[in-house]
Amino acid sequence: MIGRIYLALVYLFIVGPAAMIVVDSFNAATSFPSPFESPTLRWYLAIWAHDEFLRSIRTSTIVALAAAAIATGLALPAAYALVRHPLRGGNIVATLFVGPLLVPQIVMGLAMLQLLGLAGVDLGLGGLIAVHAVYVMPFTVRLIMTSLARFDFTLAEAARTLGAGRLATLRRVTLPLIRTGLVAGFTFAFILSFVNLPLSLFLTTPRTATLPIEMFAYMESRIDPLVAAIGALVLIAAVAFTVTLERVFRLRLAG
Amino acid sequence: MRESLPWSAYAPLVPGLVFLALFLVVPLGATLWLSLSPNVLVRFEAPGLDNFAYLLGKAYYLDVLMRTVRIAAVTTAIALLIGYPAAYVLRDVSERLGSTMIIGLTFPILAGPLVVVLGWMILLSDGGPLIRPLVRLGLTGPLRLLGTETAIVVGLVHFTLPFVVLTLFAVLKEIPHDLLEAARSLGAGRIQVMRRVVWPLSLPGVVSAALIAFSLAASSYVSPHYLGGATQLTLTTLVAQFILATFNSELAAAAATMLLVVMAVVIFGFTKATARAVRA
Repeated sequence: MIGRIYLALVYLFIVGPAAMIVVDSFNAATSFPSPFESPTLRWYLAIWAHDEFLRSIRTSTIVALAAAAIATGLALPAAYALVRHPLRGGNIVATLFVGPLLVPQIVMGLAMLQLLGLAGVDLGLGGLIAVHAVYVMPFTVRLIMTSLARFDFTLAEAARTLGAGRLATLRRVTLPLIRTGLVAGFTFAFILSFVNLPLSLFLTTPRTATLPIEMFAYMESRIDPLVAAIGALVLIAAVAFTVTLERVFRLRLAG
Repeated sequence: MRESLPWSAYAPLVPGLVFLALFLVVPLGATLWLSLSPNVLVRFEAPGLDNFAYLLGKAYYLDVLMRTVRIAAVTTAIALLIGYPAAYVLRDVSERLGSTMIIGLTFPILAGPLVVVLGWMILLSDGGPLIRPLVRLGLTGPLRLLGTETAIVVGLVHFTLPFVVLTLFAVLKEIPHDLLEAARSLGAGRIQVMRRVVWPLSLPGVVSAALIAFSLAASSYVSPHYLGGATQLTLTTLVAQFILATFNSELAAAAATMLLVVMAVVIFGFTKATARAVRA
């Protein structure tokens, strides 16, 4: 019983700040943070009057889609090689792939900024996408490896024996059976890239600002519950994505 | 048995590794190079360690370094203290409820640190729902948390806790129930079972949870920036200040390199120090 109560308190601690954001997004007070005055929807409506936020949502979507696609595309063959055979040095390579987790994101962004500066090139969104892809790759590699570890490779061999080509086997047998890992990896990568601030801090211009950067810039000049409204929307989207993800897992568990 | 594999078994690893080399290792090389280069504030002839000497020689920057390590260490300790019992209780929750609770743990991760920290700014503000009732009841005088190290630690404990619980849970759930029952039927009390069976078996998990918490806390930017501010700089916010405010790319590179070195030293030292306990 005490255990359950303790667990409930821990969850209250974990969920509390997010709940505060949702509550404050309806706060009519004009400064942030400030005590709750009266309920209003004006902050949600105000988002549509800010072109820069709408544009940044588009930029964030493009960056996150590209980063998730690159990370998943590179992770699939790597995860396959690591799980299929016990490779010499396989453990070391698997560790290399999660290496980006150990590098502070602000340092990754700085490093890309300084490389581009030294090389004197401007990649536009390319540099930003590359850094985001590096950051999310450990998650795609791990999730796809977990999926492959449960995959029965004799099924692929059976398909080959029965005359299916390499590509047909991949497309009709292997990929459908590890779909969970691919979808989970891609979605997780997309969300993590979408909400990330420090990676982009040094790599955007006002024209290429991502949503978190736009919030950051907005908050440098003034702070009102408008940012809470955007935060609440991001939160709801993240929850919706997670629940969908869980559905995907349920589907797999149900057979 | 390890058969010798054709090179083609390794080929699928190449694109990913090349990508990491091009967009992580090479850029880090650029930063390392700049950290050894002269600049407007620190003039020297050949590539050297003068930028590091400059940062370490000023009390102000030394404070930033110490604060970074202190905050990360305190965060790690608190997150483990809160997270271990939580993960242990989670182990006895029914599978259905348990999986929902695991998903719940990922919400703050998926919402992103920026959104979560905004919530903490409301909660910890002077007139906020945490402080105002305490002041009203006369339990405390006017209290300022935002802009203090305490606020940063609160934010970081919150940020690292889900990772700590998930890591510990993965290890704790592998300890078979039979083992605990066997210990109990042989006369061990609750506390003895915890101390002599559960704790030793969970040590590898504790070590990796500690390493994850420390790295996340030391490399976090959002919490120190919004909950600490300009008076409570850490190495991450210092890097940002060098780039965005004082435009000194070389000192930014040196501060970033220092952060990487500090993290590497702590991770290596901690792994070494605990290696024996984990193996035993």
